[in-house]
Amino acid sequence: MQAQTRNRQWPWVAIVLSLAVAFTLSMVSPADSVQGDLVRIMYVHVPAAWLAYLAFFVTFVGSVGYLITKDLRWDRIAAASAEIGVYFTGLAIALGMIWAKPTWGVWWTWDARLTLTAIMFFVYLGYLALRRTTDDPVVRAGRSSVLGVLGALQIPLVHFSVVWWRTLHQPPSLVRPDGPAIQDPLMLTALTVGVLAFTVVYGSLMVKRIELIKLDDRKVAIEQSIERPVAGEAVTVPDLGASS
Amino acid sequence: MSDWGWVAFAYAVAYGSLGVFAGSIAVRIRNTRRSIGETE
Repeated sequence: MQAQTRNRQWPWVAIVLSLAVAFTLSMVSPADSVQGDLVRIMYVHVPAAWLAYLAFFVTFVGSVGYLITKDLRWDRIAAASAEIGVYFTGLAIALGMIWAKPTWGVWWTWDARLTLTAIMFFVYLGYLALRRTTDDPVVRAGRSSVLGVLGALQIPLVHFSVVWWRTLHQPPSLVRPDGPAIQDPLMLTALTVGVLAFTVVYGSLMVKRIELIKLDDRKVAIEQSIERPVAGEAVTVPDLGASS
Repeated sequence: MSDWGWVAFAYAVAYGSLGVFAGSIAVRIRNTRRSIGETE
C-alpha cells in the first residue's frame, strides 16, 4: 500500500523539484540591458505560452485519435490536456499583462498576438463548457473531438501572428529561423530550463488529471449500477386498518 | 512599483495559481476516491 501511495505521489514531487530549479535559475540570471529585471517575467510567461500550445496540440491529437478509433481513452487525454491548456493560456495572458504595464504603459492592447490568444482562451473555455452539456460519454466525446480538431487551427495562427502582421508584441524568443534572440548563455539557460520545467509540470498534471477522469468514470459506473427505488421514500405502505 | 515589485507580483501569480490548480486536482482525486470507497 505504501509503495502504491509513493507511486501516486511522484508527479507532485516532480512539479516541486522542477519549479524550484527553474525559479533559482530565473533569479540568479543577469538583468537585461533594455528590460532590466523585468526580463525575469519572461522566464514564466514564455513557458506558460509554450505549454498552452503543447496542451492544445495534445487535445488535437486526442480528438483525432478518438474520431478515428472511437476509443474513450483518447477523449480522456484530450479533455485533461484542454483543461490544463486553458489554465496555462490564462496564466500566459495574466503574466503578459503584468509585464506589459511597466514596459508598454498599458495592461492590454488590441494587438494581433494578444487578441488571438484571448480568442483561443475563450474557444477552449467553450470546449470545456461543451463537455458539460451531456453525461453520455460517447456523445460528449464526439462533440468535443470536433471542436478539439477545429480549435487547433488557431495554434499556428497565434504563434505566427507576430511574423505575419505588424504587432507590438515581440517576435518569438526561442524558435526562430536565425536562432534564439537571447545571446547571454545564463539568460538562455534560464529560459530553456523554465520551458523544460513547465513541460514536466504539464506532464505531471496530465498524469493526475487523467487519474481523476478515470475515478470520475468509475464513480458514475458505480452510481448507475446501484438499483434505485422508482419513487424513493415518497412511496409508503398504505395503512389498511391493521394497526387499529 | 519597482521592477522587482512587478517580478514578485508575476511570480506570486504564476506559482500561486499553479499551486491552487494542482491542489484542486489533488483534493478532487482524494474526495472521489473516498466517495467510491477507495483508500488513499
